[in-house]
Amino acid sequence: MRILLAEDDNEMAEFVERGLHELGHNVVRASSGTDALHLATTEPFDVALVDRMMPEMDGIAVLRRLRAAKIEMPVLLLTALGRIEDRVEGLEAGADDYLVKPFAFSELAARINALARRGPLGTSATRLDCGPLSMDLLRREVRRDGELILLQPREFRLLEELLRNAERAVTRTMLLERVWGFHFDPQTNIVETHISRMRAKLNEGDKPDLIETIRGVGYRMRLCDES
Amino acid sequence: MTRVRNSAAYRIAFAYSAAIAIGIALLGTIIYWAMHIAFTRQLDAMITDEAQALVIEYRGGGEAELRDAIAQRERLRQRGAQLYYAVFEPNGDRIFGSLNTAFPKIGMHDIPFTDPVEGPDEARGLAVGLPDHRRLLVAADREWVEQIDRTVLVTFAAGFLAFVGIGIVGALLLGGYLRQRLQAIGGAAEAIIGGEIRRRMPTSARDDEFDQLAGVLNAMLEEIERLLENLRQVTSDVAHDLRTPLTRLRNALEESAHGSVSADVREKVIVDAIARVDEILSLFAAILRISEVESGKIRRLFTPVELSALVTDLAESYAPAVREAGRSLAWSIESGLVVTGDRELIAQAVTNLLENAQRHTPPGTEIQVSLSDLGTWVRIAVADNGPGVPSSDWDLIVRRFVRLENSRTQEGHGLGLNLVSAVAQLHRGHLGFADNAPGLVAIIELPKEQHAAFQLPQSDDHLRVPMPAPQG
Repeated sequence: MRILLAEDDNEMAEFVERGLHELGHNVVRASSGTDALHLATTEPFDVALVDRMMPEMDGIAVLRRLRAAKIEMPVLLLTALGRIEDRVEGLEAGADDYLVKPFAFSELAARINALARRGPLGTSATRLDCGPLSMDLLRREVRRDGELILLQPREFRLLEELLRNAERAVTRTMLLERVWGFHFDPQTNIVETHISRMRAKLNEGDKPDLIETIRGVGYRMRLCDES
Repeated sequence: MTRVRNSAAYRIAFAYSAAIAIGIALLGTIIYWAMHIAFTRQLDAMITDEAQALVIEYRGGGEAELRDAIAQRERLRQRGAQLYYAVFEPNGDRIFGSLNTAFPKIGMHDIPFTDPVEGPDEARGLAVGLPDHRRLLVAADREWVEQIDRTVLVTFAAGFLAFVGIGIVGALLLGGYLRQRLQAIGGAAEAIIGGEIRRRMPTSARDDEFDQLAGVLNAMLEEIERLLENLRQVTSDVAHDLRTPLTRLRNALEESAHGSVSADVREKVIVDAIARVDEILSLFAAILRISEVESGKIRRLFTPVELSALVTDLAESYAPAVREAGRSLAWSIESGLVVTGDRELIAQAVTNLLENAQRHTPPGTEIQVSLSDLGTWVRIAVADNGPGVPSSDWDLIVRRFVRLENSRTQEGHGLGLNLVSAVAQLHRGHLGFADNAPGLVAIIELPKEQHAAFQLPQSDDHLRVPMPAPQG
């Protein structure tokens, strides 16, 4: 994946760049807002990681100009500002996702994957399939090997999120944000309890587990092509 | 002198005195002229009456009668308004009357004459024509009016000078007094700047404007001192809270760096270290979140929040985790309740209450969440039948970093209820507690509309709202 990294802090940029290289991504760095804007408007990228505070032009301004120029590449805003106001402002300016520093690298990697997968236009599929599982988004039905599985609305949303990112890790915070709309970290792991209940329903009758737990990161739908 | 010139107190006092002096001078001038004109008119009227009376005498008894009348009048001339007379032939010769002046024109004039005693002088005179072209002149010495004018002027000037004197002295005294009162406040402020934080503005029993100002300033100083104390407290609490995990972190890292530990152990140390750092970061996130909430800026992001749906959602989401932890969660939620606010913060507040009810109670505890309609307000209550919290500690547990003795060993940094309280206050509501007998009920009351916050909810008598802490 070709990734634009707009970050003025060298140490931070190197940490992100090294990690992304290891995952096999091609990273282009910009260390100021104007550089970032120039690169983003002249070269194609799959995802842009834009720091909120940069010299010359801040991340929000870069984002606004990009969106005004109808450049719809997915943008993940990185920021040291964890305030609610700043998040709202970032999303209003056209960010697709928002990550507060400091973050675990696995969190960043998962979010980049999710963004790239979502694509610039988002997805309007009405069915999601993965191996034996199939989800009908219109009828709100989930089947495994053709057999109907009754899920609660919250569990349905969880599974939908995992299926949309099939074969890629989805973190606990991503699920909290997307399924519950919470941008804070509750002490109680409500994601875990919901996943385990849903898992029990999906695997009823000792069927092989389709959801993989990645320790310290989150969850992933197992390879959909197998089994 | 520059001290006096630069002083607003003196300037105001002098300006006030000067304004009154100008007023008095203006008033004096008006009175002087009004009196002058009135006396001159009175003089003219007297002359006119006299001339008319003499003309009647002449018409009745001819020249002899007039001559007798004038002679008699000049003999009996009174002091004060002295009248003088003269009758002229048409050729200008004075035929009788003692007024020594030239042949006059008909009408009222100021005329020169020669006083037998005082020499040349000026008089007010009326000349009227008599039959056979003779003229009668009746005149009055202006001396009378001038004397009154002089008396008025001298009296007034003396009074005015006395007033200016009093005004200057008064202005100096008043200015000095104002300066002294202000300097007392300024002096106290300088002492505070100089480090005497506990010094206060002087007040007196008079309760005048200065005392009231000093009172307000003292209240402000109290608040500042309280905030400073609070800041100091929070700072030392943060430092204290950080020292323990950082020390452990440091020790673990040192051991894995120097010791001949296996790769497995080293990896575990690193994973633990990351977890510890995350804990510290989450403490900072919590502190930052509270200060953001307390700043009140989020109010501009307020939108209608479907509270019934939100609380139901939270209860449903938490029920499995609560059950897994060996407690039970039940809820009774009135439908259709909406408040104006921040959905996520309300969710976080309710979450904190749910987590507290779960964390500080023994397994088997029943937790009950309820949402009820109080009219213009709504009430969210999280009740448990655990050991409860003594009512004397209700004020305490809302404070930052406060953990009651029996929960010291548990996780958490003692910011949970502080955030709940801050969120309630952000919504112009409040957090309170009640005894569930047994157990604790934590209650958030929020106004449905932000402007409804000024009418208080009809709270139950047993609901006690703790002192909001630590901010206000």
